[in-house]
Amino acid sequence: MSYLTHASRAEAFTLDHERTSWHDETLWFVRQKRDKAVYAVPEFQELRNLASAIKDHTLSRLDEYLAQFEAAAQANGVRVHWAANAAEHNAIVLDIIRARGATRVVKSKSMLTEECHLNPYLIKEGIEVIDTDLGERIIQMRDEPPSHIVLPAIHLKKEDVGATFFKHLGTAEGLTDPQQLTEAARQHLRAKFLAGEVALTGVNFAIAETGSVVVCTNEGNADLGASLAPVHVASMGIEKLVPRLSDLGVFTRLLARSATGQPVTTYTSHYTKPVEGREMHIIIVDNGRTQQLGRPDFRASLKCIRCGACMNTCPVYRRSGGHSYDFTVPGPIGSILSPNIDLKKHSTLPFASTLCGSCTDVCPVKIDIHVQLYKWRQIVSEANHLPTAKKLGLKFMGRLLASPTAFKVSGMLGRKGLRLLPYGLTHNKTVNAWAIARELPEPPKQSFREWYAQQAQPAT
Amino acid sequence: MSTARDRILAAARANKPAETPLPTVPDFWGDNSLERFSTVLASIGGEVAQLASLSDLETTVHKLWPEAKLIASSLFTPTLRIDQHTPTDVLADVDLAVLPVELGVAENGAVWLPEANMLHRALPTVTQHLALVLDERCLVATMHQAYARLPDGPGGYGMFVAGPSKTADIEQSLVIGAHGARSLVVLVY
Repeated sequence: MSYLTHASRAEAFTLDHERTSWHDETLWFVRQKRDKAVYAVPEFQELRNLASAIKDHTLSRLDEYLAQFEAAAQANGVRVHWAANAAEHNAIVLDIIRARGATRVVKSKSMLTEECHLNPYLIKEGIEVIDTDLGERIIQMRDEPPSHIVLPAIHLKKEDVGATFFKHLGTAEGLTDPQQLTEAARQHLRAKFLAGEVALTGVNFAIAETGSVVVCTNEGNADLGASLAPVHVASMGIEKLVPRLSDLGVFTRLLARSATGQPVTTYTSHYTKPVEGREMHIIIVDNGRTQQLGRPDFRASLKCIRCGACMNTCPVYRRSGGHSYDFTVPGPIGSILSPNIDLKKHSTLPFASTLCGSCTDVCPVKIDIHVQLYKWRQIVSEANHLPTAKKLGLKFMGRLLASPTAFKVSGMLGRKGLRLLPYGLTHNKTVNAWAIARELPEPPKQSFREWYAQQAQPAT
Repeated sequence: MSTARDRILAAARANKPAETPLPTVPDFWGDNSLERFSTVLASIGGEVAQLASLSDLETTVHKLWPEAKLIASSLFTPTLRIDQHTPTDVLADVDLAVLPVELGVAENGAVWLPEANMLHRALPTVTQHLALVLDERCLVATMHQAYARLPDGPGGYGMFVAGPSKTADIEQSLVIGAHGARSLVVLVY
């Protein structure tokens, strides 16, 4: 089976030049807000070191912390479930819903449930699942996946949202005011919150010593859902753990500043015990994570706290859009998580990077993202998943760059060729991908080596 | 057949790296002034109002929210009585909730609202407007100090609230009043 490459998916996004530029600039603006918030905290780099070390430590004793967390949560009256994969997770959720005879589910943002494709599964089983984060509700109406983990509808313009709400919520045709559109969604979702029978949430952090889960939102949708519905189900990956309540001091200072440049999310909610007569469930999910834990070069990717900073800063993500990655988590972090799940399908993602390292620079838990991208490239190549043209090209370049003579000759041919050959040939878009949107440089008269040889020898 | 739990724990045990130390987080001291708290809260859409004393609370509330009809509070005689058994349709009508908070964090404008102070878990988010009452002496500089001083640990349920509910999901335009409270005022005494 062959899969579309990142580049070919990106082509669809970049067809609209204006939108591509808007997307690029908007996310860069978010990156700048991040910088402003980060520079205002003198100990920010120390916090990154601490966060990285806390996560490293937690992974190094993950089995013990998972057991500690489970015991603490159970002592709090929470029902703890374990799911080795997406199918087990989804079946557990459905069982909990069915046990209550419920059909109306309100859900706040959870990348894990996206990863498990929970919504389509529940809907097929006759359950109404309403995404309650505004961005997620918009894309749910449009039947699209999120294009960013923090800003799920960042690929859309207000005109798109207006058209979607006109169709699904009956707002006035042509309404594009974000304030009025948000108000319409507020009214629509309020009714859903009040009628919700089961609330699903994700988990930002799970605290081993107290058995609590922490959910961060700006809209308050997780709290409205979980506090009104009689049943709360929180789904978490095994990597969400931190050992101590006090560790949250570090992570809550990093998360929102890295994500959007806010000093903290509006709501940082700690769910520890259910109200009497109500239910709280936590589903602990593996789905490939223990396998990634066993890969020494890549296990640091499990430290990710899903802030999205690496996406906002990535020159490739900003210009290709989240959908071009075709994976739950797009951008640089997605490109190092996805090959663990399906190397062949996601084989082009580690190449969707300039290896500039900006992702690594902004990562609040100091994951060596660009190094891992480079390492995945080696594995993709060894597994023979490189397209033939790329494979041959790399082989050829390898030989050429290893031989000074070949390098010299080809440089000369290149300079001559560029001058003599017709433009239509040197800039043929089928042969030369560089020329699709760019000019080749003016060929210099001589190479650096030729120039250097002509210089007077320095006095000794 | 082993359970998913056993398999996950066994895989985590088999695949985890060599143990690394858990760092001690230093207490980063910082500015815990009301001025700092007020500036940050204003920058995220909230507001600080001074109370001369706690006994002025009720009159101040009526002065600041003259339109509010259904007011829930644990601090004075409310116009609407809320407890943890209050049905959803009653909660949905609350105009204003006035609740005490345990501490405020100057670096980010957040306040700690534990379940014991909420009357009903949904009240802080279902109410149209939210007023939180804070003792100025309970201001700390950073989240590290805040977590160290949580009176009852995380409790059964508790939240740091920093400003009103908001979203920027439509073209990154900031809109205050997404699903939770449309406005937030911290009344400081």
